[in-house]
Amino acid sequence: MAKSDDCIHILQGLLIFGNVIIGMCGIALTAECIYFVSDPHGLYPLLEATENNDIYAAAWIGIFVGFALFALSILGIIGIIKSDRTLLLVYIILMLITFAFEMASCITAATHRDFLTPNLFLKQMLERYQKSEPANNNDKWMIEGVTKTWDKIMVQNHCCGVLGPSDWQEYTSAFRLTHSDADFPWPRKCCVMDAQGLPMNLDGCKLGVPGYYNSNGCYDAISGPVNKHAWGVAWFGFAILCWTFCVLLGTMFYWSGIEY
Amino acid sequence: TMLPLLLLLLPAAHGAVENVGYRPLLTESPVLEGLTTASTFVLDQPRCAFDKYSNADIWLVVALEKTATTFNNSVGPGTPESAFQNFPASVPAYMTLNATLANYPCPKPSGEITVLRVGSETSCAEDAARPTCNGPLPGPGPYLVKFLALEGSEPVAETDWSKPIMLRTAKSPNSISTMDGGHSAGMIALTTILSILFAILLAGLVAMLIFWGSDSCGGSSTFSKPEVVTVRRYNTHHVYDQPAARL
Repeated sequence: MAKSDDCIHILQGLLIFGNVIIGMCGIALTAECIYFVSDPHGLYPLLEATENNDIYAAAWIGIFVGFALFALSILGIIGIIKSDRTLLLVYIILMLITFAFEMASCITAATHRDFLTPNLFLKQMLERYQKSEPANNNDKWMIEGVTKTWDKIMVQNHCCGVLGPSDWQEYTSAFRLTHSDADFPWPRKCCVMDAQGLPMNLDGCKLGVPGYYNSNGCYDAISGPVNKHAWGVAWFGFAILCWTFCVLLGTMFYWSGIEY
Repeated sequence: TMLPLLLLLLPAAHGAVENVGYRPLLTESPVLEGLTTASTFVLDQPRCAFDKYSNADIWLVVALEKTATTFNNSVGPGTPESAFQNFPASVPAYMTLNATLANYPCPKPSGEITVLRVGSETSCAEDAARPTCNGPLPGPGPYLVKFLALEGSEPVAETDWSKPIMLRTAKSPNSISTMDGGHSAGMIALTTILSILFAILLAGLVAMLIFWGSDSCGGSSTFSKPEVVTVRRYNTHHVYDQPAARL
């Protein structure tokens, strides 16, 4: 009986350890998702305008799931120490529900990341940047968001357009309707700015002289943070779920062995 | 022999326009992003081409490729026959970007960017009072350009016509396809593995609930709750017998 007792104690110890890890990972997940939802790079208006902002929904779910994991891990630890069948059954069922939500969050984040291609941002930039005639209030809000965000991105990252300044030449755009091609081959924000926020050399910028305009595209500056966001939510969640899977299997095994 | 001589003299008598042997071209160095846009293009300045004509006004003539041959050098600049505003509707070419030799010193100092941007003046494009406006070009072309030097109102020198210059045409953003991103391998793997794990857990839960109450599963690992069972020591007959035997 002593050997069996040892086995039981080892299993209990392992399960408690597993639950402690789940609790800590839950808190980490909550913190990570709060960071992403706070949008430190200011890219949310772009995603909102593409109507493809589900990676933010995934992060919101992650916040609540992380919290639930922490609470349930404490419940689990108590249930294992007391070897209470009811408590552990409640624990297992609630954990399965949380597992399902976290699974949804991971899959959403991963799937919607795949939609965020350069073409998506390009089309939206051409259709909304500095558009002068909003169709309705919603459109007006999106236009403001897109315009402000692009201006900020282009100035801060020293870039122009999605793939380069030629985006503005290759395609017609809402910008082109109000700004003539001869005066504005590309927006003024694509010019190299001086300390006052004015173009250093306007003619050089209009001609496209190297050194007076931003020749890189902004896609890297956008996709970097967005990728980190999506992969952070998806893969960290996946790792937590794999660990939770093992702990839950162990708990089910433990539960079925408890005398009632 | 008299006839060929006469023919040679005839052009001279009319004040022949000398061809200076220069062909205008788009700027090649430095590489400019805005070399051609939808309504402008950038030419090299005609440095060292009109060196003999320090008194002349050097004009740029812009024509469509198909109408260039109908351009007459005697058309004066600043007239309705060469006005930008009438191009290309009623005139085959327009004249603009007036300069003198002083504007094009020879040789070109190295390190300086010496270009002419054709089409950069937007303020006078509709102004009929400014026929020599360097306005934005009205279509994608192709265009031919040449430089013409006038002394007074007489054309005295010209360059060759340039090669045809084609401007950019812009496509509509509706032609951009946003649906072509496939699903990445990572996402497929993630979805598959998570679905399998969830299915196993659900199966485990169902198994747990079905076998609730039956001891058939996990027989040897059944264990007791800590505080329920207490073992009591029994004193057997055997223990009491022994001291009696010693006596």
